[in-house]
Amino acid sequence: MTALPEVEPPPPGRTYRKDPAWSNHQEIPEPVGDRRLTGAHWWDPDRIAHEADQPRFCPACGGALDGPGAIAIEYWQAEVRVFHTRCDRCDWKGDITRVDRVVGVEAPHD
Amino acid sequence: MLKQELNEELTKVGPGTPMGELLRHYWYPIAFVRELDEWPIKKVRLLGENFALWKRPGGGYGIMQELCPHRRASLVYGVVEEEGLRCGYHGWLFDEKGSCLDQPAEPDDSTFADRITAFAGRAEELGGMVWVHIGSDPAPELPKFDVYVDDGFKDVGHTVLPCNWLQIMENSVDPHHVEWLHGRYFQFLGEQQGFLAPPGFQKKHVRVGFDEMEWGILKRRVLEGMSEENDDWAVGHPLVFPYCMRVGGAGIEQMQIRVPIDDTHTWTLFYSSHQPPGMTAFPEQVYPVDYEFPWLDERGEHLVDYIEGQDIMAWVTQGDINDRTGEHLGKSDMGVIMLRRMFREQMALVAEGGEPTVGITHEPHDRIGLPCEKDKFGVDYTEFALSWISGGSSRYSPAKDQLKKLYVEAATIRGDDSWTLARADELIENSAAEVARRKRLAHQAERPTGSTAARGEG
Repeated sequence: MTALPEVEPPPPGRTYRKDPAWSNHQEIPEPVGDRRLTGAHWWDPDRIAHEADQPRFCPACGGALDGPGAIAIEYWQAEVRVFHTRCDRCDWKGDITRVDRVVGVEAPHD
Repeated sequence: MLKQELNEELTKVGPGTPMGELLRHYWYPIAFVRELDEWPIKKVRLLGENFALWKRPGGGYGIMQELCPHRRASLVYGVVEEEGLRCGYHGWLFDEKGSCLDQPAEPDDSTFADRITAFAGRAEELGGMVWVHIGSDPAPELPKFDVYVDDGFKDVGHTVLPCNWLQIMENSVDPHHVEWLHGRYFQFLGEQQGFLAPPGFQKKHVRVGFDEMEWGILKRRVLEGMSEENDDWAVGHPLVFPYCMRVGGAGIEQMQIRVPIDDTHTWTLFYSSHQPPGMTAFPEQVYPVDYEFPWLDERGEHLVDYIEGQDIMAWVTQGDINDRTGEHLGKSDMGVIMLRRMFREQMALVAEGGEPTVGITHEPHDRIGLPCEKDKFGVDYTEFALSWISGGSSRYSPAKDQLKKLYVEAATIRGDDSWTLARADELIENSAAEVARRKRLAHQAERPTGSTAARGEG
């Protein structure tokens, strides 16, 4: 048989309940404050760069990469920003990297 | 990093949103069978909508919009009859399909009832829980995953968390967090507070892999000192699209379930079926053991000295909806990226009028077996299981002692005589929960009046 543990009521001021109560679950804590970003942050240049550089079209078929089913997610590989993309029109999946400077590798000398 | 528009599309679950429409193709556990046996109607909330869930006196379940189509009073305060649910306000009666069968105050020759249909979903019982489908017909089959149907001792810890379900799901394709959050951080806490952190979690990831599969994404890892021959890579375990993760080891077969209540609340369940190798007969259960476990202490701080409490800290402190316009993903986050890509792909299928292709079946079946490693992190089975029970949310289970005995008995059946109840007790005595309990008792003894027990330590 199921035995439920004693449920202690949370201390006043630490919890909230939606009104009207929507469940018979134990009272739940208030969400952490809204953490959506506002104001200036050190990563704002990254966010602006993301919006500016995000690929808009599929390299394989030219389909839109900001439409339904498509995605372009940015991640970092050392100093390089990479956009992992998926095109909904042709299902091409792959990484797109913006290149600002081409650096060659010197061949080994004898 | 994502644009804000995309972050919203991935996290909004209400009706009419792209993600909400995708998620409405799936079945969700919404209550325990025990609850409906104790009282036949329950108010529930799923994907941003409120419903009345009820059980007929003769068996069978229904789920319907919460508010009566007549004067919009709550049907949760209705009367359950064999024909369906009758509104407590004026007696309108609805069957499980939402058809209005009776309007007692209307004239006998009225056809008004034929014009009225309440929104109704489908509800079924599986594994001691009531599952519902609130999308359009035809509903797929309710997937009967192994954890719910196989013999075992069932134990379900659960709680409601104030955050979006997606940030919990992304954790399921983030293998590296294990060696840090449950490894180094747990070890650090142990060093500070004098307890033993569970073994195995500290091992460094050498390689991680992700494979798309019909039920989601299969996750694999090779840990330091191990190889691709080990279960962690050779078998792995899957994220079960779109809201679960199958995990386990050493006889603990678990489904981690994250039911999106709405955009900012998630009902989180750890549904465990304990099946220690060697054990074939399990204690009889009328229902799975179910209990709510705490994750905040009396000061409102996160309880981080157990595994799920550590995960919850990471999920909840990201905020009610994680702002992914401020994140910085690396190469080690490929699993997270893959999951988002899968969501977008599946959302588009639904937006075009189709059906998802992942995590869904229309084939009648008795059981769906999912891959899941047995040998976890290369740790002795019994030691791993006892560490999990004492170092995870199971430490709050009313059946904790039964579980301990189950694993020690199974070790004996397998011919491993090194495990006794005394040795198990010794291991548990050094776990975080027990050390914290002893400290609290000592503290109370020093201050016999005016002090209160820490919420959640019991």
